[in-house]
Amino acid sequence: MIKLFERRTRIAMHRVKRKKSPFIYKSYSKKPKHRWLRKRNAQERRFKRTGFIAILIAFLFLASLVWNIFSNGYSAFTETQIQLPVTFEAELIEKDAYRTIIQNSLLELFPGIEDRKEKRDLFSLVSRNAPHILKDIIEENPEAIDRKAMVWIPASSAISIFYKQHVHEQAKRSGKISPSQVAWVTDLARTKNMRLKFNWAFFKNGDSREAEQAGVLASTMGSFMTILICVLMAFPLGVATAIYLEEFARKSWFTDFIEININNLAAVPSIIFGLLGLSIYLNIFGLPRSSSLVGGMVLALLILPVIVIATRNALQAVPPSIRYAAAALGATPTQVVFHHTLIYALPGIMTGVILSIARAFGETAPLLMIGMVAFIADVPKTFTDPATTLPVQVYLWANNPELGFVEKTAAAIMVLLTFMVLINLLAIYIRRRFEIKW
Amino acid sequence: MAKFEELIKASLLACTMLSVLVTGLIVLSVFSETLRFFSHVPLADFFFGTEWSPQTAMRTDQAGSSGTFGAVPIFMGTFLVTLIAMAVAAPLGLYAAIFLSVYASAGFRAWAKPVLEILAGVPSVVYGYFAVITLAPILRAGGDMIGLSIASESALTAGTVMGIMITPYVMSLSEDVISSVPKSLSFGSLAIGATQSETIKKVILPAALPGIVSALLLGVSRGVGETMVVVMAAGLAANLTLNPLESVTTATVQIVTLLVGDHEFDSDKTLAAFALGFSLFFMTLLLNIAALIIVKRYREQYD
Repeated sequence: MIKLFERRTRIAMHRVKRKKSPFIYKSYSKKPKHRWLRKRNAQERRFKRTGFIAILIAFLFLASLVWNIFSNGYSAFTETQIQLPVTFEAELIEKDAYRTIIQNSLLELFPGIEDRKEKRDLFSLVSRNAPHILKDIIEENPEAIDRKAMVWIPASSAISIFYKQHVHEQAKRSGKISPSQVAWVTDLARTKNMRLKFNWAFFKNGDSREAEQAGVLASTMGSFMTILICVLMAFPLGVATAIYLEEFARKSWFTDFIEININNLAAVPSIIFGLLGLSIYLNIFGLPRSSSLVGGMVLALLILPVIVIATRNALQAVPPSIRYAAAALGATPTQVVFHHTLIYALPGIMTGVILSIARAFGETAPLLMIGMVAFIADVPKTFTDPATTLPVQVYLWANNPELGFVEKTAAAIMVLLTFMVLINLLAIYIRRRFEIKW
Repeated sequence: MAKFEELIKASLLACTMLSVLVTGLIVLSVFSETLRFFSHVPLADFFFGTEWSPQTAMRTDQAGSSGTFGAVPIFMGTFLVTLIAMAVAAPLGLYAAIFLSVYASAGFRAWAKPVLEILAGVPSVVYGYFAVITLAPILRAGGDMIGLSIASESALTAGTVMGIMITPYVMSLSEDVISSVPKSLSFGSLAIGATQSETIKKVILPAALPGIVSALLLGVSRGVGETMVVVMAAGLAANLTLNPLESVTTATVQIVTLLVGDHEFDSDKTLAAFALGFSLFFMTLLLNIAALIIVKRYREQYD
C-alpha cells in the first residue's frame, strides 16, 4: 500500500513537468548512485512510512474499539429462555404465590432434590422476574387457571451468560454457577428446553437490579426528553444571538466582548456547566434534582456557543449581493434578514444545530453533577420526574460489578452509537441536499 | 412598520443579552462558591498543600474532622495524565495530519479523513468503557510479562485512551494549518532539490509552527477538562507521584466524586469541588487565550 501512495504522489509531483520532458521523471525514479542521495531518499521513505503508520494506528484503534463493543455486546440482544412445565394451581394464584408455582415446576423437572443449597441453586436458574411473567399470563388469559402449560421463562443472568458462551463454544466456566447448575443446564439444552430469543426486554424495560431484565427504554426516553428541552432553549436563543451579532450589531467594544465571550465558552470543559447547573438551577432556582428539565437546560448552555458560531458562519456564507438585492427592492432590514438571508443560511444552520445535538446526546459529565445518575426503572412521565440518559446509563452499568452487566453496557453503547450515526447521517443528508454553493 | 422593526431588533438584542448573561452567570456562580471555600480554607493550603483528604468525619469532635484540602497531588495527577495523553496525541495527530495533507492521494484522503473523524464523534463515556474493559487488562498483562506491576487504574491507561481521543482533534486542527501554508513555499523548496520530507521539516512546519503549537495547546485544554475517561479509568486516591504506572487522580475525577450523591451544600467538601472547578476553568481559559495569542502574534503573513 505504501508503494502505491509513493508512486502516486511522485507522479502527482512531476505530472506538470513530465508532460514536457519525460526524462526528469525517469531520472528521479531511478535508484540514485550517490551515497548522500541514497541516504536522503531513505530518510524520505522513513518519514513517509511514519506518517502512514500514525494513520494506521488510529485506524487500528477505531477497529478494535468497534470490534470490542460488538463482540462484548451482541450477545445482549438475545435472551436465554428455559421451558418449564407450569401448573397454574388456583389455590396458589389466589394467594399470589407465583414464586411457589415456578419452584414447583422446577422441582417437577428435576425431582429428588432435598438439600437446601441445591434447591436454592435450582431456583436461581430462572430470572427473579419469572413470577411477574406468570402473573401477566394469568391476567391475560384467566382460563389457564388449573391447567398445565409449557412456558418459556427467561433464565437468570449468570445462567444466560454460561449458556451463551457454551453455545458459542468458548465454555468458560465462570465461578458463579455451581456444578449441579452446569449439569442441569446441559440437560435442559440436550432436551431442547433452552433457547435463545431476541431480547425484547432490553428495549421494553428500564434499568433493573437483575441484569437479565435491564433495558434501555427509560434512559432512551430520558435522553429524548432532555434533548427536547435543550433544543427548545438553545435553538431560538442561539440563532437570535447570531442574527443580532452578524446582521444588526455595529462593531464596538461591546460586540467584541460578546464575541470573545462566546468563543471562550465553546472551549469550557463540559463539567463546569454541570457545576453551574448545580449552583444556579438546583440551589438558587430550586428546580427538581435529577430531572430532564434541568439536564436539558444544562446541555442547552453547553451547545449555545456552538449554535451561535455555526449560525454566524452560515450567515457569513450568504453573499452580500442577496442582501443588496432585497434592500434595493424595498425590503426593510428585518425583512432582508428574515425573508432572504436567513432562508439561504438555513441549511447551514440546521447542520450546525444537528451536529451540536449529537454532541449533547453523548454528553455525560455535566449530567452527573445534577444528579441524573439515578436508578430509573420506569419511563419518566413529565419533565420534572427523575430521569437518566443513555450515556449516563452506560456509565452506571459500566460501574456495576456484576458480570451480566458487561454485555448490557456494550449493548447500550451500541444503541447510543446507532443514534449518533443516525443524527450525523441526518446532518450529512441536509448538507448534501439543501446546501447552496455560491 | 417602523415600530415592528424596532420590536424585532430589540428582541434579538434581548436574546443576545440573555446569552451573555448566562456566560456571566457561569463565572459568577462558580466564582462565588470558590470565594466561600477560600473563606474557610486558606489559599496557600489549597495551592501548596500536598495532602488531599476531603472526607469529613461524621462527628465534629473526632480527630481530623475538618478534612485537608491540599490540591497539589490533584494538579500533579491532572498534569501527568494530560502529559501522557499529549505524548500519544501529538505525534499521532501531527504525523497523520502531515501524511494526509502532503502524501496521501485525493482518493485516500476522501475516505480516511471522515473515518478518523468518527473517533472525534464517539462519546467519551465509550472511551472510558474501552479503557476499563480492554486497555487496562492488556496493559496489566503486558506489565506482568516484563515484570512491572501496573495498577489497574493507572495513569498510563487513562492517559493513553485520552490521547487517542484527542488525536483526531489535534489532527484536523493541524491539518488545516498545514494546508493553509502557501503552495509556493513548498514548490520553491522542491524546485531547488529538497525531498518532500525535507520540505516538510524545514519549510512547511516552521511556517505552520504557531498554528501547530496552538493546536497542541487546545489539545491540552481538552485533556485537562476531560471527565468521563478519567472518572472511569483513573483512580480516586490522591497520590503525589509522577510514575505513570501508579494510580493518580485528576481535578475532574475529584469534582465528580465530591458532588455525585446527596450532599448538604454548605460543607467544605462540596465547596472544594467548586474551587477545583474554578481552577480548571481558569486553566483552560488561559490555554485557549494562549493558543489565540500565539496564532495572532506569530503567524507569518503570506501574500
